Amino acid sequence: MSRFLAATGVLGAVVALAVLGGHVAPRDPSAVVGPPYSAPGETGLLGTDGLGRDVLSRVLAGGSDLVLVSLLAALAATTIGVAGGLLTGWSDGWTARSLISAADVLLAVPQLLIALVAAVAMPGPAAVVIATVCGGSPLTLRVVRDATRLTRGAGFVEAARCRGERGPVLLTREVLPSLTGLVTADAGMRFVMAIQLASALSLLGFGAQPPEADWALMIRENLPGSGLNAAGVLAPALVLAAVAGAAAATAAHAGRRTNTGRLA
Amino acid sequence: MTGVLPRACARAALVLFAVAAGVFLLTDVLPGDAVLARTRGGAGAAELARLRAESGMDGPIWERFARWGWSLLHGDAGTSLLSDRPVSTLVGERLPATLTLAACALAVTVPLLLVLSWWAGGLAARSYGGGILAAAAAIPQVVVAAAAVAVFSGLLGWLPGVSLLPIGAPPWHEPALLVLPALSLALPSAAYGAGLLSGSVADVRTLPHVGDAILRGVPRWRIATRHALPLLWAPAIRVVAVIAGGLIAATTVVETVFGYTGLGELLVSSVAARDVPVVQAVALLGAVVVVTGGVLADVLRGVRA
Repeated sequence: MSRFLAATGVLGAVVALAVLGGHVAPRDPSAVVGPPYSAPGETGLLGTDGLGRDVLSRVLAGGSDLVLVSLLAALAATTIGVAGGLLTGWSDGWTARSLISAADVLLAVPQLLIALVAAVAMPGPAAVVIATVCGGSPLTLRVVRDATRLTRGAGFVEAARCRGERGPVLLTREVLPSLTGLVTADAGMRFVMAIQLASALSLLGFGAQPPEADWALMIRENLPGSGLNAAGVLAPALVLAAVAGAAAATAAHAGRRTNTGRLA
Repeated sequence: MTGVLPRACARAALVLFAVAAGVFLLTDVLPGDAVLARTRGGAGAAELARLRAESGMDGPIWERFARWGWSLLHGDAGTSLLSDRPVSTLVGERLPATLTLAACALAVTVPLLLVLSWWAGGLAARSYGGGILAAAAAIPQVVVAAAAVAVFSGLLGWLPGVSLLPIGAPPWHEPALLVLPALSLALPSAAYGAGLLSGSVADVRTLPHVGDAILRGVPRWRIATRHALPLLWAPAIRVVAVIAGGLIAATTVVETVFGYTGLGELLVSSVAARDVPVVQAVALLGAVVVVTGGVLADVLRGVRA
């Protein structure tokens, strides 16, 4: 349990830092404050980047868009996936079967391609949401469908059916609450997926654009100067790793707690 | 076994057809088209319409898709809009570089994956091993590649931070260029694969003959290789098939970070330049790898069941 608390704590702290960091940044993230690639300590705590901007301030300011967009993408992918999973797990009709086939095809299209093409046609954040939904909700759908199948004949569902409850109510009031842990874990993994996609897009030049402060973009910009000020690369890399890693560890724990029952 | 392979292949063919249609639809959304790219803005609207009609590009989408698919089946992937060179030549030039990188990455991934899953499937690590592996696998590829460059090239100066391939020489000509890209590909996929495999490892490690061998005092490495590994081949190959499919996306990021001229780099530059035929070919190639891995996994599961 303590490890779970540790992972959740790290996750909460980094997300809070990412969202609110811009307000506590010691300097203006886009102002030139010193010579390019100053080593940590010379100018500011983490030195400066290639244009002489303060790395610490840019790290503090560079996470809010990334994290908020990823949260939104995870929410969208999970909602669509859960709805599809409940539907396909509950009924065996024509709609359910075609939904499953569509999910299979979506899974075979390279997700990065969806993201790249979407990023050319629309702004970066929208591309991240769309690619996460296309690549993530089919996975959610599969997991939720299998779990819903198992609850169809469960005692608490039968009891509700005998009370006279009908399909939609049964699904939202009886089945869905029993899947809380599973869905939480899944949402965590979709968040990780969105973070990975968003950072890849920014690195490839299709996401955040200069002079924006963005963790992945900072990595791209500061990589050539990593011999002069490695903190310019390592600091944003570390916070990105912390957000994704803590989210995954929390999700793994939430998933295991449900999997100890019959749903394993 | 009977019927597993044909059924898996038929399913794969169906999925590939749907993916080809999906890729075609997706790239059709890309703003601009071949005629616009060729004339480079030097033609009026009437001229553009005439050129489109000439090359059959004003037809309905299903007609263009059919023509594209038909020539693809005959080994003709079209011509690049940017360089006017055949797409197959462009892809053929980049393929050895990416294959070399992927092979090097897999050569590191597989042993690492087996060791990690052995650890996570053990009794001692069962409560937290999964969480640690999940966290490690979640670290974005960007971060791993960048940290590798910053530490081994920037701070320590041991290895080159960019892997510009010498022109005309095979990619394995300078092995030092491959070390960092291959390592940064291998680490996250090994963690991911180990997470998938650790369940099977945990099952195998509780089997009676393994426990018996421990009681008899057989050395641990011998238990792992002689008593457990033979039972793990089928799930391990399935996991490796999944990883090989994922390497395509990962290699795009890694190639861009290191300036390594492979297929992923070609995909990104072609999307940026709206070079639709090249994007279609590379994307379809990626899908073929994913689907082939899936067929392999299905067949193996069928064989075991």
